[in-house]
Amino acid sequence: MSVPNEDNTQLSSHFYGDLLDSIIVDVASECHRIAKLGLDHNLEEEEEEMRLSAQARARVTDPSNSGETNNKYVVDIFGQTHPSIASEIFECMNCGRSISAGRFAPHLEKCMGKGRKARLKVTRSTTSAQNRYSRGSPVSTYSPFSNPTSTHILSNGTPSVAGEEYSNGTYEGP
Amino acid sequence: MCARNSLYTNPKPCKHLADYKLRHGFNGYDSLQNCLKITPNGRARVDKHNTKIPRCNFCNGSQGRLYICLICSAISCSSHILLHTQSEKGHEVAVDMERSELYCCLCRDQVYDPDFDKVVVSKQVKDLPGGSKSNGFEGGCDGSSKRKRLDSGIGLDLKKSKLLITMRDRRAKSCYPLGLRGLNNLGSTCFMNSVLQALLHAPPLRNYFLSDRHNSFQCRKKSGEKVCLLCDIDALYSAMFSGDRTPYSPAQFLYSWWQHSSNLASYEEQDAHEFFISVLDVIHEKESKMLNSRKDDGYCQCIAHRAFSGLLRSDVTCISCGFTSTTYDPCVDISLNLDTSILSPSDVANKPIKPDEKTGVSTLSGCLNLFTGAEKLGSDQKLHCQNCQELRDSSKQLSIRRLPLVLCLHIKRVEHSLVRKMSRKINQYLQFPFSLDMTPYLSSSITRNRFGNRIFAFEYENSDSCAEYEIFSVIAHSGMLESGHYVTYLRLKNQWYKCDDAWVSEVDEGIVRASQCYMLFYVQKPLFYKANEDTRCVRISPRRDPFSSTAGCSSNAK
Repeated sequence: MSVPNEDNTQLSSHFYGDLLDSIIVDVASECHRIAKLGLDHNLEEEEEEMRLSAQARARVTDPSNSGETNNKYVVDIFGQTHPSIASEIFECMNCGRSISAGRFAPHLEKCMGKGRKARLKVTRSTTSAQNRYSRGSPVSTYSPFSNPTSTHILSNGTPSVAGEEYSNGTYEGP
Repeated sequence: MCARNSLYTNPKPCKHLADYKLRHGFNGYDSLQNCLKITPNGRARVDKHNTKIPRCNFCNGSQGRLYICLICSAISCSSHILLHTQSEKGHEVAVDMERSELYCCLCRDQVYDPDFDKVVVSKQVKDLPGGSKSNGFEGGCDGSSKRKRLDSGIGLDLKKSKLLITMRDRRAKSCYPLGLRGLNNLGSTCFMNSVLQALLHAPPLRNYFLSDRHNSFQCRKKSGEKVCLLCDIDALYSAMFSGDRTPYSPAQFLYSWWQHSSNLASYEEQDAHEFFISVLDVIHEKESKMLNSRKDDGYCQCIAHRAFSGLLRSDVTCISCGFTSTTYDPCVDISLNLDTSILSPSDVANKPIKPDEKTGVSTLSGCLNLFTGAEKLGSDQKLHCQNCQELRDSSKQLSIRRLPLVLCLHIKRVEHSLVRKMSRKINQYLQFPFSLDMTPYLSSSITRNRFGNRIFAFEYENSDSCAEYEIFSVIAHSGMLESGHYVTYLRLKNQWYKCDDAWVSEVDEGIVRASQCYMLFYVQKPLFYKANEDTRCVRISPRRDPFSSTAGCSSNAK
């Protein structure tokens, strides 16, 4: 087994050093230009925003803080209290029956014959994407390579399966 | 306020550079221009002899930094550049051959001259394939020379409205800004409530509807249709700004919306962003019918587009020759991917990030940088280059050609795993600022950056359009993918409020900063300050009834 040639090692270190120097000067030169031309004039404000955010997060995660963000409300700023399910009563504009506000949406869904019946015929993502393109109006997708936005959906609503973090891609419903 | 006349400051030349300019003018620059070589990625290098390796006159070395004298074209390395200045009197300014930057040998610093930059950029434009028609240099044919006066939009100025009367509300609750009112949850409709709260307080929309720009009576007369979403939005504004503080049930609105978007008519599992797009869609459709699709300067005049519409530019560059092809697409919002690159492998398992861990934080500017960064397309995505006339590897870069009045940023928080066929919500915290400067993401900035940030007046830079924004609303999502909850934070007259369906409370700005944002709403600074001036106005409806019925579904129509 031959001893590694010292000259070669030195030479490759030398080349590497040269390359590294070149890259460092490149970055330094670019930053120098940006700084001199004032293209980064917002740096101070950006750092201040970062600092405030970090501070805010620290305060929120601090266990000694009384949970300001918890959902236990007593009164709102107008001094009012509200039940967990809205109790206001009004007439359904489709059938005329008196419905309480908190149950209005599920009622209207059945009343109008929408919802599950409509969903079995056609999936939401295909029609919404179709509608967007056919109307030629506010199109949120702008690149041929991105996924249609309908796949990036955060839902709300009553928990169907408690404690489950993952859900599969098709919307089965509770 | 925010109208900066130049996007950069012109740096003052050092004494030596000034002297050089006086004595030699542009001679050195012009002769150097012939030696400039432009690489496909747009960089300019000084390459006098195509075949010979440049060497230092003193040590004959070719490593390290090499500088070429502007007066005699002698090449020296960084160790010997001072020697050259000493041996030749007056040869004080040189050019870094690798980057084509001016270098003052006596100040020993990089210096700048707009005239030199102009020479470099001219060569770049000349040499890159496509010339001045591509590579980001826009002519006047796409309407860029027409400057749209966005801030003098008709009907968007609250003060011009005749129907507004300043009224003193003697109730104690009047100390709170008008329009602040809870929305009842009608059965898993917090996705709708959260977006409505944000839209209700978007200055252009607010001004439009409160100025009675959509008159229900005239609308019904004209179209004869019984159901008009715009009329319902108008009714919503009336109710929310009436001064009544009991929570409002947007039942009529829901009914109207479901009639228009039958595919989304389901009370369960809805996405706020999808709803937002859908509402703008319906507003556009309805207004287009009424306005007969009148387009001014090629821009749609419906209120949805006037408020939210911007223009995105996409540049696809051939890596081999540098030819760039450009396309434009309108957008009403920008969907951003989280910049997860700063996470270490352990964080991918979605553990909460502790503040003292030095893993770095995801920031909005990081996401915007990711959005506007040059992305190398995979070799399976080769595109046809017009210049090379064959399929080549390319890189793509997005930038913002025209900013909207109201900027809606949507954070994509759903991750799909194709392997496991599952979707997962990304709970990662995202830092976002209250004041946002969008200048670095404009097409003009991106193009400028591609050419080395040279001092050069690009044709289409319109400095009268404001790139500085202030945040006015945040929609936050908490919980899991299929079962979560939306709340909206509103910033009115420098106080933050939390709107959680029917519950409205005051919160400290720290709570908002620490929240898990899903949609961010920014408005151009001048509009923000105007909107927060005077909100002690109550709109009097034509029927002289200041308080519409809360549900809005009993027949009020005449």
